[in-house]
Amino acid sequence: MPSQYWGSLAHLRDAEIPDYCIEQLIKAGGDKVQCVYSKGEKRELNVDAGEFSLFRTTANHGISLAVIKDQKKGSLSINKINQEDIDESVATVLTMAASSMPDEAYDISENQPAKSFSKGPTEPELEKMYNRMEEFMDFSGSTFPTTIIEQAIMDFSAGTSYYRNSNGVAFDETGGSYSFSAMFTSKEGEDTSSFNSAGFSSLDMDNPLHEGGSIKRLLKESAEHVRTKPVPKKFTGDIIVTPDCIMDFIGFFLGNISDYRLIAGTSLFRESIGEAITNGLLTLHSTPLSDDLSGGYFVTGDGYEAANATIIEQGILKTFLLSLYGSNKTGLKRGPNSGGSLIIDSGKTALNDIVKSVKQGVLLSRFSGGSPSDNGDFSGVAKNSFYIEDGEIQYPISETMVSGNIADMFHNIKDISEDNVNFGDEIFPWIHFGGITVS
Amino acid sequence: MIYKDLNQYSGHFSEYTELRLQENRNNRISMVNGDVMGNSVSSSSGVSSRVYKEGNWGFSSSPDLSDSAVEYVVRSASDNVRFMNDRNKMECGFILPDTCGHYEMDLTTQISRNSQKQWIDFLKDIDDYIQKKYPNLTSRTIVLAGLDMEKSLLTSSGSTSYSMTPRGIMYVSLSMENNGELVELMDVFGGLGQLEDHFLDPTQFYANIDSLADHLSRKADGVYTDAGMKDVILDADLAGILAHEAIGHTTEADLVLGGSVAREYMGRQVASELVTLIDYANSVEGKTCPVPVYIDDEGTPSEDTVIIKDGELKSFMHNKDSARHFETTPTGNARAYAFSDEPLIRMRNTAIKPGTNTLEEMIAAIDDGYYLMKSSNGQADSTSEFMFGVPLGYEIRGGKLGNAIKDTTISGVAFDVLKTIDMISSDMTWSAGGMCGKKQWIPVGMGGPAIKCQVNIGGR
Repeated sequence: MPSQYWGSLAHLRDAEIPDYCIEQLIKAGGDKVQCVYSKGEKRELNVDAGEFSLFRTTANHGISLAVIKDQKKGSLSINKINQEDIDESVATVLTMAASSMPDEAYDISENQPAKSFSKGPTEPELEKMYNRMEEFMDFSGSTFPTTIIEQAIMDFSAGTSYYRNSNGVAFDETGGSYSFSAMFTSKEGEDTSSFNSAGFSSLDMDNPLHEGGSIKRLLKESAEHVRTKPVPKKFTGDIIVTPDCIMDFIGFFLGNISDYRLIAGTSLFRESIGEAITNGLLTLHSTPLSDDLSGGYFVTGDGYEAANATIIEQGILKTFLLSLYGSNKTGLKRGPNSGGSLIIDSGKTALNDIVKSVKQGVLLSRFSGGSPSDNGDFSGVAKNSFYIEDGEIQYPISETMVSGNIADMFHNIKDISEDNVNFGDEIFPWIHFGGITVS
Repeated sequence: MIYKDLNQYSGHFSEYTELRLQENRNNRISMVNGDVMGNSVSSSSGVSSRVYKEGNWGFSSSPDLSDSAVEYVVRSASDNVRFMNDRNKMECGFILPDTCGHYEMDLTTQISRNSQKQWIDFLKDIDDYIQKKYPNLTSRTIVLAGLDMEKSLLTSSGSTSYSMTPRGIMYVSLSMENNGELVELMDVFGGLGQLEDHFLDPTQFYANIDSLADHLSRKADGVYTDAGMKDVILDADLAGILAHEAIGHTTEADLVLGGSVAREYMGRQVASELVTLIDYANSVEGKTCPVPVYIDDEGTPSEDTVIIKDGELKSFMHNKDSARHFETTPTGNARAYAFSDEPLIRMRNTAIKPGTNTLEEMIAAIDDGYYLMKSSNGQADSTSEFMFGVPLGYEIRGGKLGNAIKDTTISGVAFDVLKTIDMISSDMTWSAGGMCGKKQWIPVGMGGPAIKCQVNIGGR
């Protein structure tokens, strides 16, 4: 990167830029103000249609300002970091706040001890990234010759962000990580599988990419999915949801315990803290500080030091994921973090034994479904999935719908596998549900 | 405002090179039950360059728009392609098709710009109207969102373009409880243009809100659909998402190379003879489309891509690299969302060409089926198998509209569904806020006429 054109801010160190913004916002009349200054770089290798295609490097930086004046709030972000643009933005965001409507719920985080956090490397091993990609292409080509890698992306992103507010909060976060994703389809003559994708993140490039996340398993399943057929007839039975698509269902619970639905008054779980919202087999954590994950974060979006939390413990809802605004607005307790970095506790049964226990059902590897209705009703197509009968996986399926109610489904968890998958940002096991309509 | 003329930088080019300066500007205000939950503006600008040599691409971007930053990103993109060339020598000798065009398009509103206060007052007016007229609603959410995409492009082939393509939309979402069950419905208004081009007078939207509230009330008393294969009418919203998600994506040339089923179908009858499906570049019968593209982000003059003509699969959508592979000409479909994004093959405005029927004729032609009006989301894959959520629809019994239906889904294999189309309406409606995700999110136009066909509908 060439040297930045900071104008008269050129003498400032990175960490002093948000301090300058806070000072200007207060001078301009802000009652409570916050600023996040962030900068980062990405290096990315792309494979398209099975061939190396692109090496991409990007750099960016940005400032996000928020100001509360007379309990009215405005927010603004720019990526031009020079005095003229910052000063103009300070004036603009004050005007935006003055234009808005007052709300007693607006606030900023209270004073906390200043801290600096870091996780992961700040510079990539570029040669290793290329070699790992080449190794992955060789592996997939030789092991699964009918599978086309439609696109594969390997990137390394690193950056630093500085959070400041007028209550004296000062948090610095530096981090970097690798991430890999691949999208693929298998083809034999005119027979084509559904596409599938897989990915994971990591703090290093020490292991082959096909060993990460679910990559190898999903490549193998893709090759098996070239020829499929529907389930024999409509039935009510079991589904085993793989770690790859459990988020499609967990998302329903997270949506109902986060800001929008709780503020709008449409959450199903508004009165459910301390109550069972699933059966006792499920324990779900949000762990942004976990050493088991390559991802995570140290500071919440509203300026608090993040903490790990158990969201659902043996079926009991323990906490909402409310921001400071959401908490003030609803009168409910603020969440310990901003969500994400999810871990579902594994069970005690081997996946193979769970499959053996299924009389009739589906191993659901990808769910192509509409958003569930507000009460949790869902239906969608079982993609890249398998029909199970009498305890054995029978064949890959297509044109098969699964439907039910998510809230009910999680009261009908039959088992959770001891096996799990670490995607870097999440760790999920296989979950066995009963009472699902398959057609 | 970014530089329109980049010719001064052509001296930095040594290989096939694209240089793009871009700024995206957003304005977003959200109101929930009368409270302002979000009141924000943002802008993101920078310069990027992409260089092609020996079958590889190098790309670099910087948020700095200075002359030295431009020189830096061109040099850095060249370094990046050299990194690839040193390691990947599989594609030596490949040369991209040459295209050249010049176009300037500035769709900045001619109306004086509103202040943020005026927009908040606008939302407050609409919220007050809803609250007073429909006091029994559980929640009211209104979001106003403006996006300006301003780009300048110069390529080593000599193409130049400048565009300011704005989009202004408003979402209104209402929910109510009926017998302890929460029911929700949303509509989207606006489209091409800045917010001022669509939303000056809130009273103009009262009728739309009355219609939304009426549909919501009917849906609250709605019935479950009978699962199975049914005759249905897919209104413009759903016909558009079928054309985009289930057919359009399978005919993007990069996805064809990635294994989509469409490769084997080229030249074959894949739909009823009534069906002509086009990715329109910028206009239909003299009317500008929601996402007009005259020169794409590789500098290729954009043209309509006739994907299906009279039921026969005719063409894929191409960028320069896929056109080289298929030994054809680029179609002007290469687009990038942000300054730091490389152009990908993207649809622009994808729709089935209107037919000759009226909606009334189509309803009258169904004895037992459904009129499906809105889509909540949609997914499709390389086989053209699709699934769309349907949050609004009505039964058709004996050629007449009946009860509203509860949320449902439709699914099928798109190339099979297209063969069942036997009526197409003569009108054309674009959805207001189409966005497409494919590595990058980008605005797209989706819509079309209503179509009568058979699909698999979900039920309880």
